[in-house]
Amino acid sequence: MAEITLKNLGHSYFPQPKSEEDYALKPVNLVWEDGKTYALLGPSGCGKTTMLNIISGLLHPSDGQLLFDGRDVTNKTTSERNIAQVFQFPVIYTTKSVRRNLSFPLECRDWDPKKISGRVAEVSEMLELDDILDMPARRLSADQKQLISLGRGLVRDDVSAVLLDEPLTVIDPQMKFSLRRKLREINRQTGTTMILVTHDQSEAMSFADEVVVMKDGRVQQSGRPEQLFERPENTFVGYFIGSPPINLFNVDVKGDRLNCPALALTDLPRGDLGPGALQIGIRPDHLNFSDPSESNAVAMVEACENLGIDRIVSLRAANGELFKVKSRLRQKIDVGSKLGVSVAHKDVLVFQDGVLT
Amino acid sequence: MGRTYNIIKYLCLLAWATFVVFPFLWALSTSFKDANAVTSGARYIPWVEFEPSVQGWTSLFASGSQGINIVQPFFNSASVTLLASIVSLGLGTLAAYGLSRFSYKAGFVKNSDITFFFISQRIMPPIVLAIPFFLMLKEIQALDTIFGLVIVYVALLLPIAVWVMTDFFASIPKELDEMAMIDGCTPIGAFFRVVLPNSTAGLVVAGMFCLIFGWNDFFFAFILTFTETQLLPVAIVSLNSSVTPWWSLSAFALISVTPLALIAIVVERFMSRGSLAGAFR
Repeated sequence: MAEITLKNLGHSYFPQPKSEEDYALKPVNLVWEDGKTYALLGPSGCGKTTMLNIISGLLHPSDGQLLFDGRDVTNKTTSERNIAQVFQFPVIYTTKSVRRNLSFPLECRDWDPKKISGRVAEVSEMLELDDILDMPARRLSADQKQLISLGRGLVRDDVSAVLLDEPLTVIDPQMKFSLRRKLREINRQTGTTMILVTHDQSEAMSFADEVVVMKDGRVQQSGRPEQLFERPENTFVGYFIGSPPINLFNVDVKGDRLNCPALALTDLPRGDLGPGALQIGIRPDHLNFSDPSESNAVAMVEACENLGIDRIVSLRAANGELFKVKSRLRQKIDVGSKLGVSVAHKDVLVFQDGVLT
Repeated sequence: MGRTYNIIKYLCLLAWATFVVFPFLWALSTSFKDANAVTSGARYIPWVEFEPSVQGWTSLFASGSQGINIVQPFFNSASVTLLASIVSLGLGTLAAYGLSRFSYKAGFVKNSDITFFFISQRIMPPIVLAIPFFLMLKEIQALDTIFGLVIVYVALLLPIAVWVMTDFFASIPKELDEMAMIDGCTPIGAFFRVVLPNSTAGLVVAGMFCLIFGWNDFFFAFILTFTETQLLPVAIVSLNSSVTPWWSLSAFALISVTPLALIAIVVERFMSRGSLAGAFR
């Protein structure tokens, strides 16, 4: 178990990067605390896997240092770092049985055979692989193979961290849920640092103590899931976290107040903002419907999507701006009808040039 | 519909099988004929159309004027082919692994150029290499020796091994090596403990090609040997004198084909492309 520190760590796949654009992972300072669960969240190609491969040592960073408990491991080999990693697609040793697959990381590290069989039994029981331990690994289904990959990642109880690179992609939804819970349990029991790479925000939010959002090789924000939801530091995080994404509205500046024509908000404090493009962001979950005759802001329903318990209503404001509301309202909502919309001031976020003020 | 289709399918397969097997059957029946049965028109059925004789077979194991002894050439061919194949497969597999997993650059030379360099050795007509090989072996006094032939055959078989194995390693996901390293192997440990055991199919295919090309080579065996180290293809041709003993020649041909045919039967399941793909995920 170790605290992992990224010190100005960056990577470019070009031998001589000319500008920041050439970096797949732009230099970053981050600390992954010992024993916590983290999620690296971002769209495909944002540098998540690059960061993970640098931590595990599969990739040597072009810039900066990587520290494990303050010790520089930038030039250490993968096996010296004692990291466990699970890839997106199952990687198994097809010539070995399930048991030998699980014991291989321990055999490589010359563990005592008795201790090996004990650990293999524990992990196989935890992942419900104990019935198929002596089967050849190549004959298993895709999700069973991924369980073996996961098992190999968890079988060592002395690892610095477990890195999970979208490991649940090939696993069916029911199993995914229980595995996520199991991973959390393991983290609580053993205090193993776990870093999960994903592009699925619900997976990230439900798994991690802390979520790191990335875009274009740059860390956008790092924080607890509720922090990211309630106080996204920029419009990208607001857009990426939450489903549906945050609504952004244009505002007019009137003296020291801001007006939002779409929602008929006229008394928003402007604060001491400098010049720059201003927008307000409101989560679809924070907008409420009201009677159109009693509301200042009236919008027309363009579409209504039923999600079972919730509904997502797409609306067009009087000034033409489109936005969405997530509602549990049971009443029937007709497309083309008009609804009043209101929001509490505390839920309005002001962004200047895309950054939260 | 299904039955008619099956009948047509099996008839076609039977016709093809007969076409393929016929030369072997012909050689087999000829090997049991005497001079008279060979020269007096087409005869196929023993005891009915001709009286079988084992003279063709016995002459291969006799010595002196009775015939040509096949044992020594067979042993020579087997030694040269096996040694050259093992060395080529060993070196070729290591080279192919390097080429498939690491990027090399020396001036304008990159991985693809190195691979092409290997393959280009097979593109050249063998005659171009004959005189240089002859002079080089003469220089190290390795003409007409098994050692000299093994060196030459390694040079000929290595490109095949590199080619087949580079292609094969490219089909093994890099994650397999990475996983092994994360599990605690060194890079070379990952190769020997994980990648190589997963490469049986590729090794068998490459080994088979090496054995076929090595065993069947006549050109270099003919140019680089004289009397001491005769290989099977050369020994067969040397039977062809003023009166060709077709019965011995047929028996000889069958014996020389048998080892490859047996190996082919054993490793046939590895030769299909299907067994190479999809084994990892």
